[in-house]
Amino acid sequence: MTILLFTLILLVSAYAAGLLGSLTGLGGGVVVIPVLTLAFGVDFHYAVGAALVASIATSSGSGSAYVREGITNVRLGMFLEIATTIGAVVGAAVAVYLDSNTIAVIFGCTLVLTAVMQQRRRSDHTGVVGSYAARRLKLFGAWPQKDGSLKHYELRNVGPGFLVMIVAGALSGILGIGSGVLKVIAMDGLMKVPFKVSTTTSNFMMGVTAVASAVVYVQRGNIEPGIACPVMIGVLLGALTGARLLKRLDVSLLRKIFCIAILLVAANMIYQGFGGKFD
Amino acid sequence: MSLQILIARTLRTGVAVACIVSAIGGVIYLCQHGLEPMPDYSRFSYADAPLHPEYTTLGGIFSAAAAGRAVGFIGIGVLCLLLTPIMRVVLSLADFVYQRDWLYAAITAVVLAVILYNSFFP
Repeated sequence: MTILLFTLILLVSAYAAGLLGSLTGLGGGVVVIPVLTLAFGVDFHYAVGAALVASIATSSGSGSAYVREGITNVRLGMFLEIATTIGAVVGAAVAVYLDSNTIAVIFGCTLVLTAVMQQRRRSDHTGVVGSYAARRLKLFGAWPQKDGSLKHYELRNVGPGFLVMIVAGALSGILGIGSGVLKVIAMDGLMKVPFKVSTTTSNFMMGVTAVASAVVYVQRGNIEPGIACPVMIGVLLGALTGARLLKRLDVSLLRKIFCIAILLVAANMIYQGFGGKFD
Repeated sequence: MSLQILIARTLRTGVAVACIVSAIGGVIYLCQHGLEPMPDYSRFSYADAPLHPEYTTLGGIFSAAAAGRAVGFIGIGVLCLLLTPIMRVVLSLADFVYQRDWLYAAITAVVLAVILYNSFFP
């Protein structure tokens, strides 16, 4: 295969990754890693570098819109970024000792968890009584409703949420993906943040979390220019298209199809990882 | 409120610049090497990083770009992409200081310190 053909196929795949990643809220990295490793036989260590690039591009590209619409809880994001960046530093340090097969199994398990968690009901958690710690940290907020009014919300379980976020950061440091699933478990499941606020805040945090480990990965040579360039451009354009489509598209069917696809990829990753096929 | 808009604008400008600069690099790369066979990406080794200063060190990236090499432009594009979220943290810090919200100024400073520490002591 020539460099030209490889670049063009990767550009188109990255566009699809950015589009699907923003429509399903999972970020571009989830698609970029299997495309590179399973379809092109690229080493997992390069794929993780490419996924970090994809995560930062998606987060920065679509995050700006949410901040302006006032849905993101900037204080909550900032506070939890302490946990995710520390986790990311640990993850990037641990990653040196992991071979491709181990990374593949961890990636597969994360995908299974993601697919399972996609099935749960989305809740706005009305009537939550906030905890003392959350009040002291000024984490309560208000989010805009369809009629233009603001709805106040409170939250709780700051400590457990913070601990899960450290794990989310570590996974992001190892895999390069946003690990949105753990962020939503922490914010939606434990802290009782309204669903829309937790997904946009999670997306907002993804860029800063990814950059904390990307600064190490670039110096280790994981971010290969020939791969990073088409991935960055493709994912960003795809994410922009996705953000535009999301406003007038019902994505529930797409999410279901994507869920099955994720499970198939996960099974493949875990099977090949345990079989030592990525050596 | 104006700082929120500034943050949103910084994010968009950052990714746009990153994309444009690396696209220039990508076009140069394809013009020069497009018809060569694809490099072997099936093996990665941490020991190889010192062999590639043109995309693993700041000095290497800038000297490659100064020499007009594609890899240098893509490297600058990647750097712009990495700087975008870091700039967002810096602007948030300024915002919290401006609001005299010292608790959150301190929280933001910790996040910035973690990222900078990891950048300089990988």
